[in-house]
This record gives sequence, structure tokens and C-alpha cells, in this order.
Amino acid sequence: MYDAIYIEGKGKPTATYVFEHFHNDAMSAASSKGMPVIRIVPETIVSESTVVEDIVAAVKAVFNNVVAVLTKPLTDEEKAPKRREAENPTRLIFKGTLAEVNQFFYQRGWTDGLPIIPPTEEAVAEMMTGTDFPADHLVEKLEPRLGKATIEKIAINAVMAGCLPTYMPLLIAGVHALASNPVCGMMAASTGSFAPFWLINGPIAKDINVRSTYGATSPGDIANASIGRAMGLITKNIRGIRKQIEDMGVLGNPGKYSFVAAENEENSPWEPLHVERGFKKEDSAISLMFPQSFQQMMPFGTDAKGILATVVGSIVPARMGMFAVLLTPTNAGSLAKDGWRKKAVKDFIVKNAVVPDGYYKRLGLDDSKPFDRGNVVITGAANKNAILVPSPRDPDPVQIFVFGGFGSWMGLMQGGPNPVTIKVELPKNWAQLVKKYKNIVPNYLRY
Amino acid sequence: MSAEKATPTYEVLSPWAEADPVQLKGLSPRLDKLDGKKIGLLCNNKRAATLILDVTEKLINEKFPSVSITKFFARSFSVSSLEKDREGEFNDWLKGVDAVIAAVGD
Repeated sequence: MYDAIYIEGKGKPTATYVFEHFHNDAMSAASSKGMPVIRIVPETIVSESTVVEDIVAAVKAVFNNVVAVLTKPLTDEEKAPKRREAENPTRLIFKGTLAEVNQFFYQRGWTDGLPIIPPTEEAVAEMMTGTDFPADHLVEKLEPRLGKATIEKIAINAVMAGCLPTYMPLLIAGVHALASNPVCGMMAASTGSFAPFWLINGPIAKDINVRSTYGATSPGDIANASIGRAMGLITKNIRGIRKQIEDMGVLGNPGKYSFVAAENEENSPWEPLHVERGFKKEDSAISLMFPQSFQQMMPFGTDAKGILATVVGSIVPARMGMFAVLLTPTNAGSLAKDGWRKKAVKDFIVKNAVVPDGYYKRLGLDDSKPFDRGNVVITGAANKNAILVPSPRDPDPVQIFVFGGFGSWMGLMQGGPNPVTIKVELPKNWAQLVKKYKNIVPNYLRY
Repeated sequence: MSAEKATPTYEVLSPWAEADPVQLKGLSPRLDKLDGKKIGLLCNNKRAATLILDVTEKLINEKFPSVSITKFFARSFSVSSLEKDREGEFNDWLKGVDAVIAAVGD
């Protein structure tokens, strides 16, 4: 819809075909850009459909509407839309029991479906001790509604998610990450259900107990669980991306609850991601990417040859976007022992990830051109069967992360743009804060 | 008789961020008719979008043979938001059309 709004702004009438189930999404997008009266042409073509007969029938069914959208005279409201008062609730919004607060927030669409911690003045004040910035400091305005991510609003959503105050520096950096790449907004709203994955590097991971080892992305650690959860609530309540209004993910993605890990730097044979991306090892950083899928597999062999063959042999041509290999310290160590450095691994994967000869024909599909949904096709690429092609948009199409416990399983993650990495700035009293909250860790009973 | 224990209550802050009011814009004047006009077809990079606009082009040629059609193919799902390097090219294309039909395909 953004293009339609831009074109109308240039003085050209526009008719946009929009899948009928996207009506709310389209009007929300238009409103956020100041054009609540935009004309669209609802149609019945399912997202990403390639069934020609359906498309022909659906377009014919609405073609007269296309003509009408372009020619029917404007109403007074369409010439000069009147402002609807935006829903900016009061600061103190509700008083009730724990159950009543939860029901009130849930019914307003402000939660992720799980119970929240009530964001009282006291709880939010404590959360804000995690930063030197004042409550009204504006960190970013976040697309699409350009909601103001002030320190207080970040803290409110952090309290709801169950964060500790020591997570505030990461959340602030995370908000900067969300704002740094316009594609980030679109990923969160996409039919592809891309879920934000947050990778933490540097000393902060140990300071605040972000898990990097066994079960790094499983539930059970406050930091891993609540940091991702808070960013998800920020996506809803500050960005304004809500399920089946702006977030049109078709299958959905459990990663949208929380998908956070720290890189297992102390057991990795290679430089950590943030160093690879230009930061110092002693810096703390958070990286954001939006994979839509995460799969795990047992490698063909746990030596370098077996691991690399597994990666190359598991990349399907129907993939799209960023590609990341998730290696345990064991697997990374096997590669390093054989002399493989990160760059060499990446180059090997790019070179050897190819569509096998006869692949499309065997499947009964057109093999005249490679399937390249969402990936940039480079005309005249050296290898037309290459699945991962470095391009100006994606100069580094393969990422490698080392986390998890000592084991042989490995993972692949794909979809979305390449990572954004933001340095984390710490408050002056960081050491005292860390000391205050560091020992909040689970102690499991033996049985 | 013992007093009932009061259930704790919580006075809570709103998580919904404020946003500055956006300047509202009306729509562009419409065409008086399609006949004789230059229509631009804007196709984003979704597969269905190409197919939708191919059908649209055929229908326009059948029903409004005096219309001339040009196409613009986005590399992404939004030229204006994600392809700033093509802003000039896009604006030049827009100058050459009277109206645009766009397909989202999603």
C-alpha cells in the first residue's frame, strides 16, 4: 500500500488489487501514512498464488471495480479526509486484580496471549533503573505507526514480559535495531511469519545470564525468554503490528514468543559474530535477523567433511532470504581442527549449494529458470544453478553462529534480511546493577 | 468472624505508545474515463502480482483498445520504501502515466 499512497501523493489516481482478507491490513497501512480514504480493489486471489485459472477468474470478477476506482468522482471525505482521534490511551490505564489486569490487557490486544506482570508505577520505575536515560527519552519512532519508543514505554513492555532491569540496555539496543532497517517492519508483518531472532554477544551475556549453551533457545531462562518476549510486545504495542491486522503471517511462528540466544563465545574456535561485523570483542552487542524457519538435523558425519556435506545437501531451492548455519561448539571445533575458518566455510557453502541437475524436471516443474522467490537473481551469474548468490543487497548470504551445548546436532535457519548488529551501551552503575540481579538463576531440585 | 483477605489490586500504565498525528492527505482527482489514457501497471516482486497484471493488461486491451500501457517492475514489495536508488526512475515512469493499477499479490 505504501506505493499506492506514494503514487496518489504524486497526483496519479491508483487502483490496487488487495486480497480480501488483507482489507484491515491495507487500510491500517494507509492510515499510518495519512491516507485513510485510499481506494482498493478487494479480490479473492490467495497470497502468492500461481494458479492461473483462479487468478484469471478473480481479476475478471473485479475488473469493473478497477475501472470504477480510477474513474468514479471523489467524495468530499476522499478529497479532504477528517481526522479520527487516534487511540492514545491515558498513561494510567486501569486498576484491578491480577486477573482483571490481565483480562483488560488481553482484550485490548496488548499481550501475546500469556499472562503479564502488571506494569505498575513502582515496577516500571525499578525497570528504568537499568538505564541512565530519563523516562521521557525518545529512543526511536517505530514503523509502521511511528509509535514513540520512549524509555518508559520500553520499560512498561519489559515489565509485562517479566524482564529484569539489567535487560534494559539490550532492549534499547534492540529498539535501535528494529528502526535501523525498514525491511524489519515488513518482516514482522509478512505472510511468511518471519520471527525475530536475537543473538547476543559480548560480556553482557554472562552479566545477565543469557544462555549460550545447552538449550540456548529452549524455555527456562528469564533472559532468553523475556528479552524476546519484550521485543515482541514492543512490536505490538509501540510499532503497532498486531495479528491479522498488520501481522498477516499465514502459518504463524512460535519464534514470535521469544527467540533469543547468546553466542557460545568461550567455546567457539572462531571470532564471534559481532567481531566479524566490526565490533571489539569486549563490546556487547545484539544482532537482529528475521528467519522464518529453523530446522535441526544430525550431520552425515561429525567430521568436517560430514558437517559441510550436511549443510550443502540440506539447502532446498525453495528457500529464500538469509541463510544461517547453527553450529554447536563441537561441530565448530571439528571444522576448525581441519583448518576451516568461518570465511572458508561460508565460501564453501556458497560454491557448493547448487540445484542438482534434473531437479526441477524430476519434480515435474519448469526448469527453464531457477526458482528464486525473494532472492536476487544475478543475470549472468557464474553458476546458474547456485542457490546462494552474493549480491549488492546480500554480499554475505551465509551467516554462521556458534551456540548450544556439546553435541552433534546442527541447525539451519533461513529467511529475511541479513543481520543488523547494534552495540549495547551500558549505564554508569552497571557493575552494581549486575551484582544486584546476577544471582536470580534457577536451581533445579534433584530427583 | 475473620475479615476477608483483600485481593491485591494493581494500578497499571498503558503499554500502547503515543504517536504524533499524521498529516492527512486526500486522493488524487480521478480520470474522467479510461479511453485514450496512459495506464501504468506496477508489479511488485510477488508472483501473483505479475499474473494479476498480465490478466489486467489483456482485459484493458480488449475493453479499452485506445489505452496505452507501460509497466514498472519492483525488485521488492515496495519501490517507494525499499528501492530509494530507483526513485528517479520510478518518478520518471509516473510522469509518463495518467493512472496506475497496482497488484500486491500477497
